[in-house]
Amino acid sequence: MRRAVAPLLVVTVALVLADSAVVTLALPDILRHLHTTVGQVAWVLIAFNLVLGLVAVPTALSFSRSQPRVVSALGIALFAGSSAWCALAGSIEVLIAARCLQAVGGALALLGCLELLVAVYGERRGVAAWVTAGVVGTATGPVAGGVLTQAFSWQAIFVVQVPFAVLAVPAALTVRAAPALPPDRHRPALRPNLTLALLSAALTAALFLLVLLLVEGWRRSPATAALTVSVVPLAAIGARPLARLLRPPPVVEVAAGCFLVAGGLACLGIPPSADLAWTVAPQALVGLGLGLTVDRLTSQAMELRLPRVRHAGWTIAARHVGVVVGLAILTPVFTADLRDAEVPAQEAITALVLDAPLDPEDKIAVAEALGAELVQEEGRIPDLHRAFASLELEPEERPAATRLERDLDAQLERAATRAFRDSFLIGAGLALLALLTVVAPRRRTPS
Amino acid sequence: MTSPLSLTGLPAVALALVGGVLALQLTNGGGEFEPLHPADPCEARAVTSQAEGIDGLTERLVLLGIDGAACRLGVSREAFTLQLAQPGPRTDAEVEALHDGLLVAVGRMKEDGTLPPISDLVDEAMDNADLNRFLEAAIRALPDSVIDAALKTDDVLTRAIDDLDLRSILENLDDQDGINEQMEAAMTEAVKDALVDRLRNLL
Repeated sequence: MRRAVAPLLVVTVALVLADSAVVTLALPDILRHLHTTVGQVAWVLIAFNLVLGLVAVPTALSFSRSQPRVVSALGIALFAGSSAWCALAGSIEVLIAARCLQAVGGALALLGCLELLVAVYGERRGVAAWVTAGVVGTATGPVAGGVLTQAFSWQAIFVVQVPFAVLAVPAALTVRAAPALPPDRHRPALRPNLTLALLSAALTAALFLLVLLLVEGWRRSPATAALTVSVVPLAAIGARPLARLLRPPPVVEVAAGCFLVAGGLACLGIPPSADLAWTVAPQALVGLGLGLTVDRLTSQAMELRLPRVRHAGWTIAARHVGVVVGLAILTPVFTADLRDAEVPAQEAITALVLDAPLDPEDKIAVAEALGAELVQEEGRIPDLHRAFASLELEPEERPAATRLERDLDAQLERAATRAFRDSFLIGAGLALLALLTVVAPRRRTPS
Repeated sequence: MTSPLSLTGLPAVALALVGGVLALQLTNGGGEFEPLHPADPCEARAVTSQAEGIDGLTERLVLLGIDGAACRLGVSREAFTLQLAQPGPRTDAEVEALHDGLLVAVGRMKEDGTLPPISDLVDEAMDNADLNRFLEAAIRALPDSVIDAALKTDDVLTRAIDDLDLRSILENLDDQDGINEQMEAAMTEAVKDALVDRLRNLL
């Protein structure tokens, strides 16, 4: 059991931070299963990040009066219980409430695990393990969520977390945490936390918008989307060897990382087609940037600052408030752009149907079926295949209808891609703002 | 001491990577992956139809007519079509624009030589028309050259368009069978009436 303690704590940290974006690919399924609206389902994502961002610092402040192992065990148990509750939720309101509770448990677990990992591994290695687990969790969350949703259901995302968390509770209780160091006067590290917040807001564009574009805009399955976005964590792994090879100073490393994230997001906004291959290189840029920045900034914000847990609380708050700010900025932009894209998409579809090499009666039947599908989807991107499958066409008309369906799908992909462009570019702008906070001249302190 | 390589190495790599990917995307059409832009309805376009006879002619006429109407209203052909697809009463401007657009379409088809000779439409018109057997037999017996010399397709179509109750058609677009019946009836009637008139004159 003792050998499994630290890995279980590391997995717990990764699980909690993966939960930040783990449901992204499951949102369409949740929307359908719980018969809710796009606006409400977004709160499944927002609620977790908002609560985690808001409770992290107060939780850290109250930590000095508590035993880390008790707090950790309590937090992990609460996280496990509320994960199970999420899986059983029968309405969107219950799911959002369970996600809030999950975030409270997550905050306790994250901060407790930091102290316990330091107790197990020592200061430097313990903090490094905690930071790395967080980066891995954040980067792999959407991938894991997509695979589980496709293989089983959206509920599986929450179910699989329970056994790990249940095992981690006794593991946490076995660790005797190091005696608390006396609190000193270290103030929160403003600059790294601000950069972290802006970068988290920008990364929301990569992790949240990209999966939405793939699943909703380009109509790829959650598993395909998950496989596609796995480029980000894979590239993030490649960032460390690159940094070791070139040995840049920390500030240069973070600045280059911010620039890579900005460049990757800008490229995601202008793909030449809806071929998944065009997302690989931009995602690799984002992944490299993520690998160069998030762990480095988290370490900078915590380095030599005591009490450690309080500064960890600030980094958690910065990251998750950043995610919420990112969602708050990007969601209205891309929903408005999607609405605006309806007219050009309808006009493009109309042009293709009018000019289609079909008999006049069949053109009218296609137009009626497409109209019915558009009404049924209520503003979401329609599934044209259903409309075409409902048509009764002569066999000789089928090839032309198939070509028309393909061309119409391409127009929808074009319209969706165009609708996401501004959001990706805003994400790139947020990453450039993060870069500014890194390169802005520091105030001189009087000698 | 920080070496120049450690200061500039990673930024140079980042710059090269971002520049390379950006250049690759842009040279392959990145930024232009957008929905089709509606064409200018005032510019002549070639239209085709899979249908033959009166159906095919009607379709080509309607497609060009929508172009002409959209041009007159200052909107795209697609926007005008989507506007017509909405249920509800039609404005005088819409009805007049479509009427004029259809007449312009006849002129365009005449100019570019895509109007079929009227003799191509006679058999179909006779099949659909309710004529007495002697009159029908007399018309069918007329040589194509006589029919084509006596009747011009553009005149027949202009008469059909003038006879159409466009407001009623536009307000009942969801009744597709009704529209087909009206359009076909108008075309058939126009061909039939013209032929009967011509035959009477000949006799």
